[in-house]
Amino acid sequence: MSNPSAVLEEKPAVEPKTASILAGIQSRVDDKLPVWFGEQQRVAWTQFQSLPMPVRTDQAWRFSSVGVLDLAPYITPPSLKESDSREILERSVGLEETSGRLVFADDQFLERDILSEKLRHAGVIFQPLERAMIEHEDLFRRHFMSQPATLGSAKFAALHEALVRSGTFLYVPRGVEVALPLETFHWLHAENAAIFPHTLVVAEELAKVTLVEHFRSTSGQRPGFSCGVNDLIVGAGAKVTYICAQDWSDKTLSIQINDTTVGRDATALNLHLGLGGKYSRLESLSRLTGEGAHSDMLAVAIGDDAQEFDARTLQDHVSPHTNSDLLFKNALNGRARITFGGLIRVEPHAHFTDAYQKVRNLLLSDDAEANSMPGLEILADNVKCSHGATSGQIDDEEMFYLLARGIPAPAARQLLVGGFLNEVLERLPDEVLVAKLEELIAEKFARRTR
Amino acid sequence: MVKQNTTLDIERNLGNFAYPETHTHDAGIGLSEKTIHYISDVKQDPDWVREFRLNAYKTFLSKPMPTHWASKDLEAIVFDNIRYYLSGGTQAKRTWEEVPDDVKRTFERLGIPEQERKFLAGVEAQFDSEAVYSNIKKAVGEQGVIFVGSADGLKEHPEIFRKWFGKVIPTGDNKFSALNSAVFSGGSFIYVPPGVKVKHPLQAYFRINAENFGQFERTLIICDEGAELTYMEGCTAPKFNTATLHSAVVELVALKGAKIQYITVQNWSNNVFNLVTKRGLAHEEAEVKWIDCNIGSRLTMKYPGVVMKGRKARGEVISIALAGDGQHQDTGAKMVHAADETTSNIISKSISIGTGRATYRGLVHVPKHLKNCKNNTECDALLINANSRTDTYPAITVRGTGNAVQHEASVSQVSAEQIFYMQQRGLTEAQAMSLSVNGFVNDLVRQFPMEYSVELKRLIELEMEGSVG
Amino acid sequence: MDQLVIQDLHVSIDEQEIIRGLSLTVPKGEVHAIMGPNGSGKSTLAKVLAGHPDYTVTSGSVTMDGENILETEPDERARKGLFLAFQYPSEIPGVTIANFLRAAVQARMPEGEELEATDYYAQLYKKMDLLGMDRSFTSRSVNEGFSGGEKKRNEILQMAMLEPKYAVLDETDSGLDIDALKIVAQGVNSLRGPALGVLLITHYQRLLNYIVPDHVHVMVKGRIELSGGKDLALQLEEKGYDWVREDIVEPALTS
Repeated sequence: MSNPSAVLEEKPAVEPKTASILAGIQSRVDDKLPVWFGEQQRVAWTQFQSLPMPVRTDQAWRFSSVGVLDLAPYITPPSLKESDSREILERSVGLEETSGRLVFADDQFLERDILSEKLRHAGVIFQPLERAMIEHEDLFRRHFMSQPATLGSAKFAALHEALVRSGTFLYVPRGVEVALPLETFHWLHAENAAIFPHTLVVAEELAKVTLVEHFRSTSGQRPGFSCGVNDLIVGAGAKVTYICAQDWSDKTLSIQINDTTVGRDATALNLHLGLGGKYSRLESLSRLTGEGAHSDMLAVAIGDDAQEFDARTLQDHVSPHTNSDLLFKNALNGRARITFGGLIRVEPHAHFTDAYQKVRNLLLSDDAEANSMPGLEILADNVKCSHGATSGQIDDEEMFYLLARGIPAPAARQLLVGGFLNEVLERLPDEVLVAKLEELIAEKFARRTR
Repeated sequence: MVKQNTTLDIERNLGNFAYPETHTHDAGIGLSEKTIHYISDVKQDPDWVREFRLNAYKTFLSKPMPTHWASKDLEAIVFDNIRYYLSGGTQAKRTWEEVPDDVKRTFERLGIPEQERKFLAGVEAQFDSEAVYSNIKKAVGEQGVIFVGSADGLKEHPEIFRKWFGKVIPTGDNKFSALNSAVFSGGSFIYVPPGVKVKHPLQAYFRINAENFGQFERTLIICDEGAELTYMEGCTAPKFNTATLHSAVVELVALKGAKIQYITVQNWSNNVFNLVTKRGLAHEEAEVKWIDCNIGSRLTMKYPGVVMKGRKARGEVISIALAGDGQHQDTGAKMVHAADETTSNIISKSISIGTGRATYRGLVHVPKHLKNCKNNTECDALLINANSRTDTYPAITVRGTGNAVQHEASVSQVSAEQIFYMQQRGLTEAQAMSLSVNGFVNDLVRQFPMEYSVELKRLIELEMEGSVG
Repeated sequence: MDQLVIQDLHVSIDEQEIIRGLSLTVPKGEVHAIMGPNGSGKSTLAKVLAGHPDYTVTSGSVTMDGENILETEPDERARKGLFLAFQYPSEIPGVTIANFLRAAVQARMPEGEELEATDYYAQLYKKMDLLGMDRSFTSRSVNEGFSGGEKKRNEILQMAMLEPKYAVLDETDSGLDIDALKIVAQGVNSLRGPALGVLLITHYQRLLNYIVPDHVHVMVKGRIELSGGKDLALQLEEKGYDWVREDIVEPALTS
């Protein structure tokens, strides 16, 4: 028997359903996927094997705890039990009103709320990936994994491509505006489960849509691994709002790779809320390809205990008269660490560009650590670019003011942290979404203080 | 209006001349253990220095080029084509009269008027790799200040020299500090006794005057408790066709309550690789301030640093970089906070012209359990003409609740409308450009001593004249 | 001889013709006002006279005291005595007004001659007193963070210091409230005299209540369509630009 994996350190388990993901794609037989897709996955697997694991001396992994990236323990999860599925569906509570909803657990599609007749007639597609690749093969293949991962995780993007088997495909045709948000849930359930959630959003010219994704674990104690990709393609004059609310268990290893392409006069808004995870890496890239394109890149992370958040971003201005605005705010308690490595790149000829990047860290404990690497690469003229990174504490005077009003210290602190993070949430266009995110943040605080 | 310039070849009248080479000691081209022994023999190094050099040479060989983060242009350096030691064979001079005529002419071309020299506290001028001229003002000597070449320093004052030499910047800090440690010659050694405040700045002008000649000076400055010193270093280099390597190491030690201000105005010719390691150690309540102005060179990599190891120590880096056509200024600062209540400040301004590239790299480190540390970083970049480029790559680490860091950067440019406005008032395009650039750096230039700020403005004007048209 | 003469001027930007055969003569000692609706090419005229590189003169001539200036660089024209007060003056960060003006005055001195600092400041303060300006003004960076009124007063101060032969004032009243307008107008009036020709470009008649012109010209679609005395401005104020368009331009076209 030959061993195909160079990184494989453990022998594949006997039971194929609980084999380490490193045993390769052979261990998972899924006949329902098209042949071309299987071939693409095999190519990706070879690529995954040939790429080296990241080391800290790579600039893209500077300050990262690369030691946690051992993938050997993670398995392809077994099929869900009927009772578990039912419980998960009951717990998949998000927004009160949506245009549609998809629920996944351990990369298995569980349920969806059907789109309204009107949206379906307008040509909106909102369906699981595995169906979209069959029913809308051309459209799907044109955009699926069409951009290389350039912010450090090429190896993990290859792994994702090799092992992805579920996710969301959202297509909004020209001129169609989807009023209410669409929503998805991805759950990690089995012990050491590895999932590869994929989201592909294609908004054609003048379309408008909002997608909210929830990433959660069924148990706060169970380890897991999520390696997700979400790609947004925003056509001319279109507007896409994408929110990812991540609340994995604190034993989860998570890598999320985003690629957003913003066309002429289009607007993209990404917001990433980081609450859970042991190590959560976010790679987010906005490529402004059309004149007048605008991208908002927003993130909030609340770290506790030994949580680590690792964000790498690129604001890539390809065309003139484009602008991007990044605002990341992080509140860190316990021994939590955050690393931010962000770059504004203004390509030659992308004149008249405005690009801003702002990172604010609030250190709430002596062991919290913040690393900031805000970068600028300006190769064009007539640009206005600035970045700022600060790390500081809760202002003693503000704290005292609240205490003097009789507010107990933990509540006062929560209020001030909430106020600090608010600047990011306020950038969302929709109050309902703001309220939802505030609720999730409050839940995290409640969990911590219990 | 702001025309693109393809053949920027600034006539640096001040730095474009060479004299016949009449060197009596020459280590030849290339680097080997033999070269190191040769240097040690000629310089009559004590055994510990010879050993130090040989160890450093091994470290140099073992260190990779930092091209994984720095410019690939470094690969253009061919270490085997470099001359590592060259000496006029003369002893350091005490009086002006003893200085050879061609050296005097060099100084004249550099524009140091003789009256000004009298005014200076002491001049340690380096012609090629030996100090050929050294004049310490009587008063400074009477105060107990030692101001000698580093070769004399290590022989005459080993008790102070050895204590700090290589301690602020270890040999293996980077490939080029290792290289310097192996082949260093020239540079200054200064010791200021406790409580002595040196009134006038000490100055050292130096020049490179031999083709393919690398200059590896080594400077060590120690300010004892409560002492104060300002040191100024300026350099211009003649133009040559093949690459020249300049790789200096400068170590500063400010003991309790001491203050050191180190000022550099550099104007290398466009073929020089200028790869310099500079670091200061600030003890309790001490202050180390680097004022650094980089003009010229093919590639400059220089990130002056301060390690604040005593309570309330203070570090500051103020830098101006001007990257003309074909040049790359890769500069920045390192601030390592290692004690409570330490504060650091970095202000960096860069100007890129034509195909010039200015890069800021910064490191700010505040480890945990430190209280009330503060860092403030501001870097602003100005772009002139299409094709110029600017990059900013800071890295900031902060732990704990008692500390605050703040980093801000911006990029802007001289707009065509701005230039037209000034032209309408009767200024030529070059004058308008130069005025804009001076406006951009003005608040920093004010921090330079008078004679340097005048020289700096003149250098900027020279660069601007070549950049338009 | 002592006059600014524009003859059959045609100007384009990006192949679009904006000034279409404009002729005008401003003798020294006179104030000529050009009025016109938005888009008539008034501001283009101001910039072309000053030599802005965005515009292409396709035909026609501009002479100053008999000398053709169209072929000269903007700074050369300025030194020959042409001054443009900008509608939107540029900000020049870090350069103080004192240093800026000093460089401008120095640029007008013969080669090899150095401007004496004491003479310069004496002159500067004299002009500032004349314009009722506070001396602290000179240590501020040129136009940086200035209010609309301050920017325009700064333009007038520069005009006073540089003593041009001909001054083109481009929409000097824009962005000014009535108080600021009075101050600026007073400044311009104090500089009026036999040695200066003024071309005043404005959209509104109100400025002409404070700077009373000798002649008024109406510019429509890149041409002077009507000229007259100061009363023409009042007529315009009353009847609007449509009156010129409908009653004067169009009948002329159809007849």
